[in-house]
Amino acid sequence: MSADKGVIYIVEDDPSFRKSMERLLRASGFKVVAFESANSFLTQRGIERPACLLLDVQLPDIDGFDLQQRLMERGSSLPIIFMTGHGNIPMSVRAMKKGAVDFLPKPFEAEDLRGAILKALERDIQNRKREIEVNKIKSLLDTLTPREKEVLRWVITGKLNKQIAAALGTTEKTIKVHRSRVMQKTKVSSVAELVRLAEKADISPAV
Amino acid sequence: MSWITVIWSMVAAACLTLAAMHLLVWFKKRTAWANLLFSVTAAAAAAVAFCELSMMRAETPEQFGTMLRWFHVPVWAIIVALVVFVRLHLRAGRSWLAWTICTLRTFSLLLNFVVGQDLNYREVTGLRHIPFFGESVVVAEGASNPFMLVGQLSLLLFVIFVADAAITVWRRGDRRQALMTGGSIVFFVLAGTVQAVLVLWQIVPGPITVSLFFTAVVAAMAYEMSGDPRRAAQLSADLRESEARLALAADSADVGLWSWDFKTGQIWATERARLLYGFSSAEEIAFEKFLSRIHPDDRDRVSRAAREAFQNGAGFRSEYRIELPDGSSRWIKAQGQAFLKPSREPDRMMGVSLNINERKENEDEVVELRLELAHLARIMTMNEVSTSLAHEINQPLGAILNNASAAKLLMSQVKDRQEEINEILEDVIQDAKRAGDVVRKIRGVVKKSDVRFEPLDMNSLIGEAADLFRNSMSMSNVSLRLDLEMNLAKVTGDRVHLQQVLVNLITNALEAMKGRSPSVLTIHSAMTASDRVTVSVSDTGKGIDDAAKERVFEPFFTTKQDGLGMGLRICRSIIAEHGGRIWAENNPIAGATFSFSLGAWRGESA
Repeated sequence: MSADKGVIYIVEDDPSFRKSMERLLRASGFKVVAFESANSFLTQRGIERPACLLLDVQLPDIDGFDLQQRLMERGSSLPIIFMTGHGNIPMSVRAMKKGAVDFLPKPFEAEDLRGAILKALERDIQNRKREIEVNKIKSLLDTLTPREKEVLRWVITGKLNKQIAAALGTTEKTIKVHRSRVMQKTKVSSVAELVRLAEKADISPAV
Repeated sequence: MSWITVIWSMVAAACLTLAAMHLLVWFKKRTAWANLLFSVTAAAAAAVAFCELSMMRAETPEQFGTMLRWFHVPVWAIIVALVVFVRLHLRAGRSWLAWTICTLRTFSLLLNFVVGQDLNYREVTGLRHIPFFGESVVVAEGASNPFMLVGQLSLLLFVIFVADAAITVWRRGDRRQALMTGGSIVFFVLAGTVQAVLVLWQIVPGPITVSLFFTAVVAAMAYEMSGDPRRAAQLSADLRESEARLALAADSADVGLWSWDFKTGQIWATERARLLYGFSSAEEIAFEKFLSRIHPDDRDRVSRAAREAFQNGAGFRSEYRIELPDGSSRWIKAQGQAFLKPSREPDRMMGVSLNINERKENEDEVVELRLELAHLARIMTMNEVSTSLAHEINQPLGAILNNASAAKLLMSQVKDRQEEINEILEDVIQDAKRAGDVVRKIRGVVKKSDVRFEPLDMNSLIGEAADLFRNSMSMSNVSLRLDLEMNLAKVTGDRVHLQQVLVNLITNALEAMKGRSPSVLTIHSAMTASDRVTVSVSDTGKGIDDAAKERVFEPFFTTKQDGLGMGLRICRSIIAEHGGRIWAENNPIAGATFSFSLGAWRGESA
C-alpha cells in the first residue's frame, strides 16, 4: 500500500478555499472527499484507508476540536491535520496533545501540506496494520471458552499452575489442561508470546 | 499725726492709685473709655479729699474760700465723668437728663467762679474751730450763696438719672451691676449731697466730707471695673484650653498651624508645621526663609497667591512642593486667611498646612493608569482588528496559494488541461479580489468613528492636554513652558481628535526626555501666514536620527521598546483630516519639535 494512494477527507466551510484544496490535492494524486461542515462528515459511512482528515478549526456547526473529540470517542484512529485562519500557539498545542498530526496556519505552502499529509497517511497505515493485528488476535481469543479466558488472565501474571489452581479453587491438573488449550488456540508457543498477545488485545492480568 | 490727716490722705492715695492703674489700662487700649472715666473719677475724688483736708486745716477765711472754690472743679469732673460712665459703661440713663445734668453742673461751676466767694458762700466771714473725731477742725462762717441750689439741683437730677439707669440695667437682667454700681452711686451721692446740704446751709455744723462718699462710689466702681481683669483671667484660661484643644485636633489631623505677621515678616508655627517644612523647634522663620523652601517652579505661584490674599483680605489656598534641607521633597497643601488692619494695610495671615504627598502620588498613579488604559485600549483594538483582518484575508490568500500551486502542478503534468487551469486562474483572480475587498471593508469600519467639527480655542485645548500631564511632569522633574499667542484665532476641528494629537505629541516628548536633565517641555502657539494657527511641541530630548526623520509618520515605525508605531501616524491622519499639516524638526541645541498647522476659522459666515 502506498501513501500516495490514500484518501484525503476535507472539512472546510469556505467554498473557495475548499475547492482550491480539492484541486491541489487531486493534482497531487490524492483521492479527495470534501465536506462543508462537521455534521455532513459525521454522516459519512465507510472511511476508505489509508486516509487522513484535513480539518478547519472554525466551522459553522461543530468546531474542529469538538469534531476531533467526537471521532476519538467513536474509536476512530483517523489522523487529523488542522487548518486555521488565525491559529495561535495554545490552540495548536491543544490540538497536537490530542493526537493531531499537524497544525497548518492558512495560507500554507503546498509542500508543507504534502509533508503533513504523507506523515498522516503513514501514521494511518501503521494504525491500520495494528488494527488488523488486533482484530486477528481478538478473533483468536474469541475461540476461548470463558473459563479458558479466566485461566489466560492468570497465566499472564506469570504464576505457577499450582498457585492459579489455588486461586481458582481447582486442581493443578485442570489448570494445566486449560493452559495447553489456550496456547493451542492462540497459536503461541511460549508464555512470553501469550503476554504480548494479551497486551495487544488489551487483556489485563488477573492480579 | 491726726486721724483726719491719715484718713483723708489714705483716701486720696487709694483713689490716686486706682486712677493711675486705670489710666495705664486706657493708655494700652485707647478704646477702653470706661477705664479713662473711672480714672478721672478716682483722681477727682483724690483732689476733692485734698481740698477738704485743706479746708479743715485752713488758717484764714480766704484760704478756706479759695480751697472751696477749687473744690468744685473735681466735683464737676466727678459728676460729668460719672454721667458719661453710666451712659457708656452701663449703657443706660436718659440722654436728655445726662445733658441737663452736665449743663447745670457746668453752669454751677461757672457761678462758682463769678458769683460771690464761691458757689456756696456769698462771703466767708470767719472761721470757727469745732471738734470733729476728737480733733479740732475748721469750718466756715458766712452768708450762704443761694446759687448753691443750681449745683444741688444738678446733684438731685444726677441721683435720679443714675437711679433710672440702674432700673434699666436691673430690668435688662444685670442685677448685680444695677445694685453694685447704680445702687452705690445713688446711695453715696445722695448721702454726700445730704451731708453737704446740711453743712453748707449751716443747718448742722461740720466740715465737708463728700470725698468719703465719693471714695465709696469709686470703690464700688473699682469693683465693677475689676470684673474686666477677672473676666480677662478667665478668658485667658479658656483661651489656653481652647488652644490646647486646637493643637490636639491639628496634631491628630496631621495639620500644622501657622500665623504670619506681615509687618515683621515672622512666621509663628506649631511643632507639626515646623516638621512639615523642615524647620527646627527654635528656629526663627522669616517669610523669605519659608519661600526658599518652596520648589522654584512653585515659588512665584505661591507668593503671588499670598500677595493677592493680602490685597483683598481674602482666603489663601495653594498646593505646592517644598524642598527639604535633606534634599527630599514633598507636596504641601496650605490654606489660610489674610487679615487687614482697619487702614486696609496687610496685618497677618493665619492658616494650616498639611502633607498631601500621598494624595499627589495617587493622583499621578491615576493619571498614569488612565494613560496606560488608553494605550492598552488602543492596542487591544488594533489586536482585535488585526486578528479578524488576518482571518478574513488568510482565507482568500490560502485559496490563492492552493490554486496557484495546483495550477503549477497541473502545468507540469499534462498539456491538455487548459480548461481546468483557466478555471483555476479565474478562481485566483476572484480570491485576490476578495482579499482586496476585506481590506477595503476594514478601512471603512475604522473610518466610521464620530468626528464633530466645531470652532475651537487651540490655547485652551493645549491647557487641557497639559493639565493631564502636570503631575507626572512635576514628579519626573520636567518643567513645562506654555508660550501661547494671546490673540490666537480659533480653528475648526474635532475637540477629542485634536486633543489626541496633543496628548500623543506630549507623550512622545516626555518619553524622549526620560532620564535626561534639564527636561523642558515647551508648547508654543502662534499665528503664521496670517490665517494659520501653528502649534509646536518641543522637548530637550535626544532628537530624531536623520534616517528616522523621513519615517516617523509612517505606520508601525517606532524607536520605543514597547511602541506600536501608530502614535504619529494617527496624528498625521487626524491633522490631514482637518486639512492641516504636521512636521518634525530637530532643535538647534537639543531635542526635537513637532509642529502642526491648521487653517484659522473665519467665523460663521465664512
